[in-house]
Amino acid sequence: MSTLATVQREFARSLLEDARPDAGVAVYRASVAANFSSALAAAYPVVRRLVGDAFFAEAARRFALSHASASGDLNEYGAGFPAFLAAYPHASALEYLPDVARLEWACHECESAPDAAAFDFDALARIEPSRYAKLRLVLHPSVRLIESAHAIGAIREANAPGRDGAPERLEGPDFVLVRRVDGRAIASCVAEREWRLLGRIAGGETLEAALGGEASGETLAAWVSQGIVAGFTAPPCAR
Amino acid sequence: MTARATGRAGVGIGLRAPHYGEILERRPALAFIEVHSENHFGAAAAAALDRVRADYEVSLHGVGLSLGSSDPLDLAHLAKLDSLARRFEALFVSEHISWSSIDGRHLNELLPLPFTSEAAGHVASRISQAQDRLGRELLVENVSAYCALGAGEMSEWEFVSEVARRSGCRLLLDINNIHVNATNFGFAARDYLEGIDPALVGQFHLGGHEARGALLVDTHGARVADEVWSLFDDALARFGARHTLIEWDTSLPALDVLLDEAHAAERAIESTPAMAGA
Repeated sequence: MSTLATVQREFARSLLEDARPDAGVAVYRASVAANFSSALAAAYPVVRRLVGDAFFAEAARRFALSHASASGDLNEYGAGFPAFLAAYPHASALEYLPDVARLEWACHECESAPDAAAFDFDALARIEPSRYAKLRLVLHPSVRLIESAHAIGAIREANAPGRDGAPERLEGPDFVLVRRVDGRAIASCVAEREWRLLGRIAGGETLEAALGGEASGETLAAWVSQGIVAGFTAPPCAR
Repeated sequence: MTARATGRAGVGIGLRAPHYGEILERRPALAFIEVHSENHFGAAAAAALDRVRADYEVSLHGVGLSLGSSDPLDLAHLAKLDSLARRFEALFVSEHISWSSIDGRHLNELLPLPFTSEAAGHVASRISQAQDRLGRELLVENVSAYCALGAGEMSEWEFVSEVARRSGCRLLLDINNIHVNATNFGFAARDYLEGIDPALVGQFHLGGHEARGALLVDTHGARVADEVWSLFDDALARFGARHTLIEWDTSLPALDVLLDEAHAAERAIESTPAMAGA
């Protein structure tokens, strides 16, 4: 075992556990905490506004105690925060809070997800119409689907910068489609029927199975033109 | 005129999200823009940087590669950095002589290394690995520190010099960090400058610090201190002019404050006698 690994392991432990750190270790500890806290605040601005700065800071501090960062990219820190909030006793009165957090993380992931090539209409034209039923549509990598018993779409919208925080609706359920437009995550409430269809497509079902006999041609065409459906896969040709 | 086109040393600023719109609108004259590499790993953030790159040279400054860690080098992280460096034809790609993770746990902080030959060899071999993967030079920065890790075998300037020599990279000398560490550890900042071979210096950083008890803390949240400007003059006299960056991360002020600091750095560079290697 190298000396360097031992020294690093001991220093990391003193940063995380030392009850009475010396002044130097205390500077690092404060900086580590501030980095994690601001990463969470950047990913969860609506949660922060809903609970207030002091409540958020304490929740972030406790979250960090039980959730280590697994990446050198702080933008990946905080995926477990919605589940943490769901089990956080101090937030139990705010039933909608974990779902608002899930929606915010979906928006956060949406903005960093990779791009996709444009829909290949030429390839679609080469498919025999008799085989359409067996196609599987592919959603754009930035698309996320979130559902909640609460009016999370309206709550998020009302708490955007410059808005007064009063949601237009208080009643759920909300079926939210998150997608990227000009580099920004857009969360829109859609009909449950459409949301479930998107869910079946995301789950890899064939067009036939996903549609289940419903006529949805216009909806599918709209999703393709909006870049929500980014491609398709076809089963190999039968001999 | 870009820094690459003229080959002359110029001044840039660190660009943070709140200033994006204003930079694009005003397009102030700057030799380059520096961003934190990790903040542009995502597709949307990379696309936003495309618009900046249309008018400015871009320098990618990483904070997450954990070059000094005993963990295996994160090849996925390195691949993302490589892809960004190629997309933006980065003027510089830089990282830190530090570590931030151990046993898979990231502290996301620039932690100091012990000044030992073992640590210098370790971080140098990882810099070499990164340079091979990127197919280009990595500049590595001296970090500020608030405590020492174990008994060192050498001074900090000997340590960073050995890292640079053994890996074949050059140093990004952060002048503020030298001043901060000179105060925190009680050495003479001028001894540090005297101990560095000018051929090893590729870029300068300037930032602000604050006093916390007996320690100076490198907060990047204030104007460059008078003592640091004075040390910058000494560095320019010893090493010659190099591309120089104004760094500001916390309590971000108006863009004009950063530009004002950049002008001060330009004036210091302009009054430097011309030297070989500049």
